[in-house]
Parts: sequence; structure tokens; C-alpha cells
Amino acid sequence: MISTGINGLDEMLGSGIPRGSRVLYSLEPGVDGQLFMISTLSCALAKKRSCLVVLPNTTVDAFRNDAQRMYGARPDLALAPVTFIDSVDWERIQKSSRSPAGRARELEARIRKICREYDVDVIFVYFDLLNEEFGTDDAAAIFTSVQEMEKEKKITLVIEHLNMEGTGLLDHFIRDLKFDLVLAIRSSFRPFPQFNYFTLVHTSWADLPARSVPFIIGEGRVIPYIPRIVVTGPASSGKSTFVLNAADDGHSVDRRGPGGSMTTVALDFGWIRWKDFDITLYGTPGQERFDSLLPSYLGHAMGALLVVDATNADQLPRARLLIEMVARRRIPFAVAINKCDLPGTLDPSLIRRILAIGDEIPLYQISATRKSDVNFVLESLVDSITQFRY
Amino acid sequence: MYTYKSGIAQIDEKTGGFDAGTNILILGPPMSAADQLAYALTKPVPGEYAIVLSTNERAAEVIDAFKVAGADKRFTGVIDAITKSSTPGITDTARLMFVSSPTDLTGIGIKFSNMVETIFEGNFADGETGLFPPPIRFCVNSISTLLMYRRLEVLYQFLHVLTAKLKKIEGVGVYILNNESFDEKTLSLIKQLMNCVIEVKVEQNVNLMRIRGIPGVQGDWMKFSVSRGQVTIQP
Repeated sequence: MISTGINGLDEMLGSGIPRGSRVLYSLEPGVDGQLFMISTLSCALAKKRSCLVVLPNTTVDAFRNDAQRMYGARPDLALAPVTFIDSVDWERIQKSSRSPAGRARELEARIRKICREYDVDVIFVYFDLLNEEFGTDDAAAIFTSVQEMEKEKKITLVIEHLNMEGTGLLDHFIRDLKFDLVLAIRSSFRPFPQFNYFTLVHTSWADLPARSVPFIIGEGRVIPYIPRIVVTGPASSGKSTFVLNAADDGHSVDRRGPGGSMTTVALDFGWIRWKDFDITLYGTPGQERFDSLLPSYLGHAMGALLVVDATNADQLPRARLLIEMVARRRIPFAVAINKCDLPGTLDPSLIRRILAIGDEIPLYQISATRKSDVNFVLESLVDSITQFRY
Repeated sequence: MYTYKSGIAQIDEKTGGFDAGTNILILGPPMSAADQLAYALTKPVPGEYAIVLSTNERAAEVIDAFKVAGADKRFTGVIDAITKSSTPGITDTARLMFVSSPTDLTGIGIKFSNMVETIFEGNFADGETGLFPPPIRFCVNSISTLLMYRRLEVLYQFLHVLTAKLKKIEGVGVYILNNESFDEKTLSLIKQLMNCVIEVKVEQNVNLMRIRGIPGVQGDWMKFSVSRGQVTIQP
């Protein structure tokens, strides 16, 4: 397997990209997604795989500088034995023949020669100018024919392309050019400007659902990112325990309540680096007087979790009200029935009936004091979020 | 919605300036005052920002030109598509960003987004004015150079995305195109992306311009000059 260099993505793909695959990183104009290709290249080089990089629009020096800037101080690209066809070579190829077919033959011949001489494992192609010069099919054929010729070698092909034609082009890569992995890197103005996300459009080796995952660029790498999951529920249902138990770094703003127990009066905040995802959890106060804040909390949320106390039937009407507020946002949400390790818990089907939620809403029986329970709920919620069409 | 002063009395007195989201094409022959006019229209007034995509001049030259025009350089950013080919190690700052060549539309798009994001986040300059969305004037100097490197259809698609993005962020765009080097089909296609066209020509060493696409502003040829970023319409 070839790693994408992004752990969260590798995990979705089932530990990376099978050797011999054809991969497309499709970039929407303006999206800072060049690190996807650089990450995969850097990872391949770190594993001592022989790589050829075809970059017709820049020089090797400029590329190395950019890659190192993007990747911080990682030395892989400077030290690894990687072969390039850069803009200087591209100019020579363009002068080699007057016809596009002649130039395509020249480029293909060079690639074959390099693949044989350097025993290349992975070819990385910046496709934009080649697509313009030869057309999508002929440009792709230059590389796929090399793959076919060297079938036993299982050369992997990774293409980065500035996609200005939209989903039609992605379909063409999948259906006609038989690409195995198509990843669309996009941006949106919602829920906030410059909101970047990638969509796993197609994988040939696994029947994976189309998934969209937000990401940020930080520490020289692509970080899958869930900017906000809201944890809500009636007072004393265990929200703070859930958030603080889930978080690597969490804070709770509590005061002593009328009954003597601690209660949240502003919010619980938890930050988690979990399976390579950066996730922030916002726990809401449970008392009714804070309900006016809930729409603001839910404003940019990508998911929500409702925590209810399995031992306290009196809370359920209030929980039902909160569910109605969450449901208006049309985001993935789940219900955690907490305190299931205590005696006198209500039957889950009864809770589902009182809360008036259908079978499509997951309902988990947990104890928020158990980290394994908390992690299981988080995992399921993240899974729902990455499969949800916002 | 924010209105961008043009500095041209005929426009500002009739309409108050350019509406947010306006894209303006400046068509002019080489050696005319088209570049100066574009920079005068892009020059940020207090509270605004300017971003110049330069395919003809180095970033330092652009900044100098804006300084001469009286712009505050802290609020002017340049995406330079020239310097990196000779100085590959040059690194980006918040206000100066570099792409490898004018062929690199991927890089240009990313640097534009990054610069806009920096402005939106309030990290572009000291003394941010706090207007939101921040008013941004964007200049492409020039479409002619981009067309020398990329096919018209590709560039059209790219500019389509860029102009749409500018509308979303409520900026204003100024694009320079040499109308003597390209055929009517090219000019016509690029015009489709614009709300306003300013044509420039030179007769007997006098610069003339006419404005099209702004309701209420007459499309007659007018003598003009540009000095220190100020456009003066001459009688």
C-alpha cells in the first residue's frame, strides 16, 4: 500500500492506496489543496519508493522550495532520489515536434526511459498543462500506457489536476479512464468563508460511501477537521463528564447548583486529536434559561449529541424539546443514554418512544465515565458526519 | 452594500462609484495609460485593501507604483508570477506571494484565496479598519499575458471562477487586456465576465477613454490623464 500521508484519509481508505492504482486529486480553483499530493509524495519517498514527478509548470528548485515550505523542515524531498520532468524539460519536449502527437510520443518515451532506469514505483503528475496540451484522454493515456506496459511492476499513478469542469470530469476519470481513487478537494462559503473540505468520490477497491471531510492546513500537514460537535441535554445528564472524558484538553465552566451538585453555566469545551481528526466539542448548559444560546452553539456545528440520564424519566420531556431544536439544524445527531451502569435504568425502546425519534437516529447506552464508551459514540458520530451531505 | 469610489468624477457623481461585486475590463493598446488607469482604480482608499496579480512586473515594482500613487502599502498585496522563475527560494509573506509562472493557475487561485483569507482574518496589516466584509480591490495585470500562456477556454473558466469569487466577497475587480493583440472572439468572451468595460486609446499623444456598462454614465470618448494615482478628465 502507498500511504496518502494523511492518517485520517488512509484509515478511510483501509490503510492507504493499493500499489498499481490510478489516483486523482482534483482541486477546485482557489482551494489550498496542493499538500495532498506533496504529502503522498513525501510519504512514498520516506518509504524509499522510487518516484518520478512530472511538473511542466515549474522548475525543480521552485518545487523543492515550495514543498519544503509546505512541509516545514522535513528533509525527505531534498535527500530522496527522486527524478523530475520539470518546466525546462517540458520546453524541450514542446520544441521536439510541431504536432501534439509528436510531443506526446516524446514525453511518453522519456517517462518509459526514466521508469526503466530508475525502477520507478510511483509517478506523480501535475496534469493541468498536459491536459490543455493533449486533451484529458491523450494526456492520461501517456501515463496509463506506461502503467500497462510495466504491469508486473505495479506502478502507481497519482495526478493532481485543477478541475474547472466540475463533476462531469470526475465521472470521466472514474468511468472512462478507470481511476481507482478520486478525491475532490473543494471549498465553500458555508458554514464560513474559506471552508475547505475533501470528498472521497470514488474508490475502486472498496465499496465506500461518498464522504466529505473538512480539513485545515497546519503543522505542515493536512488535518481532517470537525470544527464543532455540540453536546447538549438536560441538566445533570452527564454532558460535562462526556466532554471532559473525551477531550485531550477540556474545560468546564461550572457553579454549584441548588441541589449542591456542580452544574455548567457557560459551556464545556473540549479539544481532541482523534484518529488524526481535530475535533472541538462544545457542551451546552442544561438549564432552560440557557436555551436561547443553543441556536448560536449549533450555528456552525457539524454534528450534535444529546445526552440523557437513563435513570431519570422526568428529564425526557425536556430532552425531547432539545431534540426538536437540534433537528431544525439538519445535521447528524445521536443520542447517548448515559448512566447505564447504574441501577434503575429505563428501557432504551421506551426512551426512543418518549423522545419520538426514529430508528435512523442512533441511540447508544453508555457510561460517560468510561472512556471506551465515549470513544465509541464519538467514532460513530464522526462516521455519520463524514458521510453526511451538508 | 459597500460602494467603491472610482476617482473618476463622471462615475462617482452619477452612481457614487462601483457597486461591490463589479468586474471592470480595461481594454487598451500597449504604451497607453491603461496600466496607470487600472492601478488608479485599484488604489485602496483608507479602510480598503488592494490585491494585484502581476504577470508583467515584479512585486517590488508594483508596490512602488502604488506608493507613487499615494496608496498605503500596508494595505496592498501582490501575487507575483514573475520573480519565482529567477529566484526559486523566495518565500511568501502575508502581503507578497509568489507563483512559479503565469501558467500556474492552481497557484494563482490558491494565493488569491490565501490573501483574501488573511484579510478576512484581520492578519493582513497593522491598523485594520474593521469593515466587514473587508472592501477589496483586485487587479489582474494582465489578462493578455495569461492568454499568451493558457488557452482562451481554460482562462475563461478560470476567470469565471475568480470573478464569481470576487462577487461573493463583495470586492471589485479590474482586469487589463491589450485589445490590439487579440481577436474579436477573445475580447467578446472576456467581456462576458465583466459588468463594465473601459476602453482606452491614444490619439496624437493624448489618452482617451470611454466607459460602457454603467447606467447613467455616457459612453463618449473623454480625454484623460493619470498622475500620482489621480484620474483627471480633461475638457
